[in-house]
Amino acid sequence: MTLIDEPVAPARELTVLGACPQDCPDTCAMVVTVRDGVAVEVAGSKAQPYTNGGLCVKVDNYLDRVYHPDRILHPMRRVGPKGSGEFERISWDEAVDEVARRFTAIAADHGPEAIMPVSYLGTQGILNGLNVGDPFFNRLGATVAERTYCDAGSCTAYAMTIGDTAGVDPEAMVNSKFILIWAANIMSTNLHLWPYIAEAKKRGAKVVVVDPVRTKTARAASQHIPIRPGTDGALAMAMMHVIINEGLTDDEYVAAHTIGYDELVERVQQYTPEWASQETGIPVETILTLAREYATAQPSVIRIGVAVERHAGGGQTVRALSCLPALVGAWRNPGGGILQLPLWAFPVNWPAFMHPELLTPGTQVVNQYLLGQALTGQLDLRTPLKALMVYNSNPLVVAPDQARMVEGLSRDDLFTVVSEQFMTDTARYADILLPATTQLEQEDIMFSWGHLYVTYNNPSIAPLGEAVPNTELFRRLARAMGFDDDPIFTRTDEQMIAEAFDWSSPAMEGITVDSLKEQGFSRLNLPPSDEYAPHRDGNFRTPSGKTEFVSSAAAGGNFVVPLFRQGSNDHQPGQPVDPLPHYIPPRENAAADPELADRYPLNLISPKSHAFINSSFANIEIHQRVQKPATLLINPADAEARGITTGSVVRAFNDRGSVELLAKVDASTMAGVTVCHVGHWRSDALGLSTLSQLNPTTFADLGNAPTFSDTLIDVEPVAAQEG
Amino acid sequence: MAYVITEACIDAADKACREECPVDCIYEGDRMLYIHPDECVDCGKCVTACPNGAISSEYKLAAEDERFRDIAVEFFDAFPDASGGAEDLGPVGADHPTVAAWETGAPT
Repeated sequence: MTLIDEPVAPARELTVLGACPQDCPDTCAMVVTVRDGVAVEVAGSKAQPYTNGGLCVKVDNYLDRVYHPDRILHPMRRVGPKGSGEFERISWDEAVDEVARRFTAIAADHGPEAIMPVSYLGTQGILNGLNVGDPFFNRLGATVAERTYCDAGSCTAYAMTIGDTAGVDPEAMVNSKFILIWAANIMSTNLHLWPYIAEAKKRGAKVVVVDPVRTKTARAASQHIPIRPGTDGALAMAMMHVIINEGLTDDEYVAAHTIGYDELVERVQQYTPEWASQETGIPVETILTLAREYATAQPSVIRIGVAVERHAGGGQTVRALSCLPALVGAWRNPGGGILQLPLWAFPVNWPAFMHPELLTPGTQVVNQYLLGQALTGQLDLRTPLKALMVYNSNPLVVAPDQARMVEGLSRDDLFTVVSEQFMTDTARYADILLPATTQLEQEDIMFSWGHLYVTYNNPSIAPLGEAVPNTELFRRLARAMGFDDDPIFTRTDEQMIAEAFDWSSPAMEGITVDSLKEQGFSRLNLPPSDEYAPHRDGNFRTPSGKTEFVSSAAAGGNFVVPLFRQGSNDHQPGQPVDPLPHYIPPRENAAADPELADRYPLNLISPKSHAFINSSFANIEIHQRVQKPATLLINPADAEARGITTGSVVRAFNDRGSVELLAKVDASTMAGVTVCHVGHWRSDALGLSTLSQLNPTTFADLGNAPTFSDTLIDVEPVAAQEG
Repeated sequence: MAYVITEACIDAADKACREECPVDCIYEGDRMLYIHPDECVDCGKCVTACPNGAISSEYKLAAEDERFRDIAVEFFDAFPDASGGAEDLGPVGADHPTVAAWETGAPT
């Protein structure tokens, strides 16, 4: 623990520097005030320049989570039927022994592939986050979990085009002259970027938002361009068409730092603005103006949100968007380029956390979106699943195919272990439930996927009850399984922190564990933001070192970045990939499937909530009051046609399922598009089901990204149906 | 959801909150400042910036300050030009009637 100041009596008060653990690009530096061992305030750190003293509605109220009476504080064993939520308290020794005994027996009877981890980013610390269970499950020989919730398709496309580069320093965006925010509601999901955008706007930049919904961000921008869901790639390809055919390219930059320009010129000819207008619903003149202004107002920057990948052609959309900056020479200046995941700037020592060398070659891989199918015999598996271990995730809410998932988790022959802070929808189906710490109770070190600061999380309070960090959970399980013959499985948190980064990398120069503990954060050792233009002279992290309009990586076929699959490169999707960017229309829209659109004429998109992070915080009262019950936004024209009024209960449905929601008639969403924010728990839902009933399990074209936004539904008033 | 400025701001408008607001949604009346309920993004920075402790989440208001939630809503209904950024607009120069008539030191 780091004691920054220590005032005198009466109360013993400490100020501890922490880091927000939530799955968000902003990774805020926090200051926790602790009085007599009890945290009394969580605030933003004024010292951190980027997050600058702010948190957000989720984490301003973090203490409501930490000290919530519903916290799971002891190991428990199921005593009622699966899903009943009836448990009895047991000791940690009993819990760990039972898990080890069952895993051992299942591995002996069915092979270790019958066991599968299920996890994602309930916390995103390097120690306790994405990869915390990977060494354990790799050593066990368990089925590899492919976790493509977030940017997996985008990462594949981006890496194919410009490589794993940070690209743009968000702080440099004050220098941008044209900011194109694409599929991101900055005000709710990337809040600390907004002041930089606002400053650029004050300095004269034009800020344009492309989004089917007139979000708070869209309202604050210079221009909002509503777009039909899933057709973003058509707009991006048409922008290239206009830029190339009107001679708005930066020819010198293109010649020096790209490959495949001639092929791209030929490819884009079919994507005329007139065609794109039909596809996207955007007027031709708007497309022309957007392309011209984007090209000529330099430096221009594109900020893409994760949502941009969530449809059939999500990967190719990001391919096209990643080509645009090189075409117009945006990379020449600080604040120009494309901002996807600056995570790539952090020299995280991923192998020390995944330990892919422990994998058994050829081990089967199951994508977590297919878990419902995998558990119900509807996926062709070499080894059927007999055990799950869920941590850092609530798949019943965040994965699609909810009805099958419930059926699968209800199987009496499935042994399910869940490590959690709360009795989530998924935790209710556990056989063994294990108590997990919150960020205040654990130590961690954080990268960011939204800025260029390493942040340190000093623990501020002792763990509540018998809760343990994920690192300790896997130490205990490894010991019980006899894996502690390998020092990988006996590493302390301190030893893991020492391995978290390649400290000898230039980006880490001047940064030590001690300096981080003391200061709470440190900007990577990179040029100052006003000088940060890593691709001024090319130097892209592709095989050619150039922006690859024609991608050489396409020859290897479709792939998921191994980081999202425990380091495994086996059983990659592998289907052929066109080396040139192109447009793939949504699967579920009127043009692609008129018969389906006739039955289900409304698009459903499910953006991230304002007050929840995925399903986290959806059980906390103040967050519920802010977010309101699960609500479907519907355009007045669509509402009127169906006799739907604000506040009424409606049923949203398609062939996959049905969800009851409150309706809100709202012109901020386009005609034909409905919106429901994701994260509400099934147990709080009107009809025991949430959006994931309606979403398809089909992948996008690249990186096995989800297709949540590629969903057609219809909506009807519930009363009318009953009456 | 929004943050709400309460009685402690009346005649004490320090304006430190306005420096912190990332979305420039804190508008200047005559006797106090008002947070635009639809423009606020709930970041909470104004709460710690305010030297008078005048700002709370609308869901964590003290009982005697509950009325300020409606005061904010009604203020922006009455002055629809107060939107889209406080800095460009400058002071509105008027208050919600309840605030205009507020007797300092004698709240009811």
